[in-house]
Amino acid sequence: MTAMRRDLLLCGLFACAALFWPMISDMRYSVTQTTFFFIWATVVVQWNLVFGIGGIFSLAQVAIFAIGAYVTAMLGYYLGTSMLLAMPAGAVAAVAASLVLGIACLRLYGPYVALLTICVSQVLYVLIVNDTDCFTNPPSGCMPLMGGVRGFSRFGDLGFRDWLGAGFYIGNYYVGLLLLTAAILFSIAIIHSPMGLAFRALRDNPVYAAARGVDRFRYQLWIFGLSAFFTGLSGAFYAVNTGVVGPVVFSFQHLLFLLSMIVIGGIGTVWGPVIGAAVLMLADEAMRELGDFRDIGMGLLLVACVVLMPRGLTGLFQDMARRFAKPADTEGAT
Amino acid sequence: MTQARETPLLSCRNVTKAFGSLTAVNDLSFELAAGEVLGIGGPNGAGKTTLFEMISGQTGVTSGTIALEGRDITTLSPVGRCHAGLARVFQLNTGFDSLTVRENVLVAAYYGRAPRRMPGLRVPSEVGDRVQDALGRVGLEASADRPAATLPVIDRKLLMIAGALAMSPKLLLLDEPVGGLTQREIDRVADVVRQVAAGGVTVVLIEHVMRFLVQLSNRVMILHHGKKLYEGDASGLSRDRDVVEVYLGHGAGKEVARMAADRAEVRHVG
Ligand SMILES: Nc1ncnc2c1ncn2[C@@H]1O[C@H](COP(=O)(O)OP(=O)(O)OP(=O)(O)O)[C@@H](O)[C@H]1O
Ligand SMILES: [Mg+2]
Repeated sequence: MTAMRRDLLLCGLFACAALFWPMISDMRYSVTQTTFFFIWATVVVQWNLVFGIGGIFSLAQVAIFAIGAYVTAMLGYYLGTSMLLAMPAGAVAAVAASLVLGIACLRLYGPYVALLTICVSQVLYVLIVNDTDCFTNPPSGCMPLMGGVRGFSRFGDLGFRDWLGAGFYIGNYYVGLLLLTAAILFSIAIIHSPMGLAFRALRDNPVYAAARGVDRFRYQLWIFGLSAFFTGLSGAFYAVNTGVVGPVVFSFQHLLFLLSMIVIGGIGTVWGPVIGAAVLMLADEAMRELGDFRDIGMGLLLVACVVLMPRGLTGLFQDMARRFAKPADTEGAT
Repeated sequence: MTQARETPLLSCRNVTKAFGSLTAVNDLSFELAAGEVLGIGGPNGAGKTTLFEMISGQTGVTSGTIALEGRDITTLSPVGRCHAGLARVFQLNTGFDSLTVRENVLVAAYYGRAPRRMPGLRVPSEVGDRVQDALGRVGLEASADRPAATLPVIDRKLLMIAGALAMSPKLLLLDEPVGGLTQREIDRVADVVRQVAAGGVTVVLIEHVMRFLVQLSNRVMILHHGKKLYEGDASGLSRDRDVVEVYLGHGAGKEVARMAADRAEVRHVG
């Protein structure tokens, strides 16, 4: 079985198992939390393509996610656009924004890309929060163009409330599942494609890769733009699912939470980010009662993981599998 | 048509590379006709590798121009030069260590021949065939699925050559392809290079192993301190006082003369 077949099979199994979760779990809370898991896992699966596969040290993913969310919310709020149209529009806007950002920063290397992309996110945050001029003046109070500190609410939904009534959250659950499944399939396709090969070659030896015709900038720009589609779409879905979009999506804490998912799960693998997202959300849940100690707990968990398993959980699984099954499987990505 | 025949495949004009106060290549000019095999020799630090770096674009020239088939490529990126038909094999053992042998060649076959504006999801069968062909030409089919990092030195050198061949280059630059190999291994590489040249690819090879250099080259150029010390037929090497003094030494000089004579004989018979 090729690595690609195995990953496709795993993806199919995962999607099938997840189909039954809302029927097994009768708690609304665990279903809605799983929907959030789908959203965050989509973001980190795409981030992993940029960071772990493309080797681009970008911290812009949260900003790209936020652009998807804001464009969707603003289209619904100001123009009354149907969410079925506003969501893909948000995703396309995210792609456009990320291409502009990519052209600006991908000529740089490593830490400079990180600096520039984090600046862009923070500038967007400051622009939104500090904008106090009223763009419209609805009964609920002054509304700046980008929603200001308050953000947007009541901009529309996917119609599950009319259709499913109190069970509307189950509709959102399946949309989230569809989103994550598509994002994983896309990630598998990229990782096992000639573009994935180009990135592995670039990571091994950039000078030699260039001497064999691999244009780093071009393929980094491609992966940067392509991954922004699902990142933006998950932002759009976050907006619809939550019903509120505010500047909190830009927060640094949020960014670290997502980055930890990739690091803990395993950078540069198909399944690492998905596992990392699940583990971090469970850990966050477990520490919900701890109040202020929650952040400290998450920090300790991250440090412990980095020290004890530098290749993340997937790396740990691979090592264990190799130790138990003697005929070593040397296949690359998991 | 006559004009096309007169345009040299590669032309370097007044090429200079200075690293601070050190001039590694100094105002060097030479031309190369299509189908030629040019051998470059010279003492360590003579500027041979630096010359290759400038031709293949890993480093820029300080001054001078480089043209491939009459097209000025002096400021073209390394990737652009690949697509213009130039492939280089590096002096040090270079490869994609985490990739298999087949994948190493696949990178070159897929990306090295023409720009891929939009990357595809699958490898076209034509590219797969080219990989197989390149592996066959260097005799590495049996190791195709091994990780490149586990190959012995000779196979790593052949793998680099296979990658270059998979790009279907017009001009192949070989930097010390047999450095550190045994005599039998050298003969194996020589066979590969001979067949590549016979297939119409123009070759420039840098080598300290004089036997290899003399046997394969139509023309030899010896560099010293970044300048041309000698350019001409291999048989003239041992008669050139400077070349013997600076590079060959008296004993080796006689041997080179014998090798050049052997080669001339082979050519007459063949
Ligand atoms: N990047 C660099 N920076 C500074 N000096 C350099 C650089 N690259 C090469 N040199 C110097 O330029 C000179 C020519 O080096 P080069 O590698 O071209 O020699 P070479 O003829 O290939 O020698 P060898 O036969 O040992 O491979 C040497 O003195 C070397 O130290
Ligand atoms: Mg050298």
